[in-house]
Amino acid sequence: MESSSFISFVGDHLNQFFTYTAFANMTAGHIIMICIGLIFIYLAIAKEYEPMLLVPIGFGILVGNIAFYPGLQIGIYESGSVLNYLYFGVLQGVYPPLIFLGIGAMTDFSALISNPKLMLIGAAAQLGIFGAYALALVLGFSPAEAGAIGIIGGADGPTAIFLSSKLAPDLMGAIAVSAYSYMALVPVIQPPVMRLLTTKKERVIRMRPPRSVSKLEKILFPIIGLLLTTFIVPSGLPLLGMLFFGNLLKESTVTKRLADTAKGPLIDIVTILIGLTVGASTQATSFLTAKSVGIFALGAASFVIATFGGVMFVKIINLFLKEGNKINPLIGNAGVSAVPDSARVSQIVGLEYDKTNHLLMHAMGPNVAGVIGSAVAAGILLGFLS
Amino acid sequence: MSIKQQILKLTGVLIIFVLVLSSLQTKAQSGLDLRINEILVHNDSNYVDDYGMRNSWIEIFNSAYNSVNMAGMYLTNDPKNPTKYRIAKGDPITKIPSRNYLVFFADSHPTRGILHLNFSLEDTNYLAIYDVNGRTLLDEITYPPQRPDISYGRELDGSENWVVLDKTTPRANNFTGEIVTAGDEFVKMDPTGFGMAMIAMSVVFSALVLLYLVFKNTKKIYAINLKTLFRKPVKETAILAAEEEEIPGEVGAAIALALNLYISQYHDHEEAVLTIKKVARTYSPWSSKIYGLNRPPR
Repeated sequence: MESSSFISFVGDHLNQFFTYTAFANMTAGHIIMICIGLIFIYLAIAKEYEPMLLVPIGFGILVGNIAFYPGLQIGIYESGSVLNYLYFGVLQGVYPPLIFLGIGAMTDFSALISNPKLMLIGAAAQLGIFGAYALALVLGFSPAEAGAIGIIGGADGPTAIFLSSKLAPDLMGAIAVSAYSYMALVPVIQPPVMRLLTTKKERVIRMRPPRSVSKLEKILFPIIGLLLTTFIVPSGLPLLGMLFFGNLLKESTVTKRLADTAKGPLIDIVTILIGLTVGASTQATSFLTAKSVGIFALGAASFVIATFGGVMFVKIINLFLKEGNKINPLIGNAGVSAVPDSARVSQIVGLEYDKTNHLLMHAMGPNVAGVIGSAVAAGILLGFLS
Repeated sequence: MSIKQQILKLTGVLIIFVLVLSSLQTKAQSGLDLRINEILVHNDSNYVDDYGMRNSWIEIFNSAYNSVNMAGMYLTNDPKNPTKYRIAKGDPITKIPSRNYLVFFADSHPTRGILHLNFSLEDTNYLAIYDVNGRTLLDEITYPPQRPDISYGRELDGSENWVVLDKTTPRANNFTGEIVTAGDEFVKMDPTGFGMAMIAMSVVFSALVLLYLVFKNTKKIYAINLKTLFRKPVKETAILAAEEEEIPGEVGAAIALALNLYISQYHDHEEAVLTIKKVARTYSPWSSKIYGLNRPPR
């Protein structure tokens, strides 16, 4: 009698324990998301697509989709949980400016300073943002949501997270994952658009080599850049301020230790935290919705429109430039600020048509201008829609 | 004084003028952001205080985007006595969060707590807030005769325009209509997003065009030698200022390559390099020539 009651006691407790396991709480959505996480990790390790981002995000997706019994302060959306504390930096927009500090400290703006007209390509490629914004409105997203989705076209993960945390916090996970996914797929998305829009003759245009840039010019760039851009769009201050500050730390050459920290340990720590928490925020229950599917479709469209904008802009300004000063339209795609992937795409596609025509240095100009452009665009959207 | 110098001085004066003007318009986010936002003078059947009493009340609005503490500031209904009621320090209730409200009861019963004043709004038609020094006026209002249970306040929180409000709104937004967000308003006028694209692209372009223009001319700007610019003009014979010739990147690269090849690859005389090394030998009688064994015998 006693032994049977003991067995039932053990059975009850094992059954109770089972209700706490992920097996009992698992849904089809969790399995789908875990598969997506595994694909991210595979792409990062096997294909080396943006591994610094896709490994933390992919692993974060696994972490976020371990089904648990609610109320144990485990999940990222449960107040008081460790993940919730780490997620605070994403929600309040703390991490993106810190990443911009590191980007500023590791970016060399020489290519842009030596040929300033390349900045305009960085502006033209922001067409992707506003094209996606218009499409999102057509699909029935609210204005604030449309703005947050549109920023995917800026091809800038921190900017996308920053803006979506302000305009549409509910969609932030989908927007961030979409932005980083398409950034990783830049080598796949952009080349067909570039080939479609250019002629063989245009693809072999040789550009003049960039002139040497003095130290003074490099120091002046972040100071003047900050003043000009943030006077026009003060709402872009958190991103632009940190970007130019990081660059001044680098270019002044007297704050080497600070620059090394910003572009080394600091950006590494923040990348780990932002990647993991953004990944973990894609809990199947909140992520697998029709809206997320729409966001992914719009993200792809925004990258195509951005590439179109950059390439077509170069073709248009070439009409006004003299022979010898013309710009190779294959660097137009680099206006989207996926640094340095889109510039690398320009180089690879360019070499396909002329083995001796190296476009990388030229493409870095619009590439870093794209970083500034997308931060300015984020500021505008924030100003108009918040 | 040359024309160039005059232009430079004029520009300097203009910049200073603009800076001074802009600094005058700048307000720190402090007590200066506090506004008397709404008052109810005759309270017959309206808002009840924490003692269950109905008295005239004052709503203060913090228009800043940071919290402001009213501790130590003064409220008065007498222009000749700015320090009539001092808001005591040490109570967290006096800290008003960003874009939030604090309601005081003007019931002449200061013993009931910090929020209960030692005067009534019915006594005069004047109300003011003074800063902690008791001299800096932060905000004031002279109100017309009031009707019972109808409040008098700013049309929108913190705005300049005072009106008789349709509804009394203590600790709440004075505007009780439907609030349309900036985004909704934008889409109402621009449902397709074309306008947004036009405006935003123009702004992005103008920001980067400005940068382009500046950096297109930067070299010219910093090439100006300020020392010679501000030096008194001296009669000089024609001086030919040799302009710094810009070395294109390809020339620099060619020179660097040539040097690299010369140093690292094409100096093929390594075996012929002579080294002069002084060999030190310590003196020893065994090695001395004097006692050398090969010395020929005499």
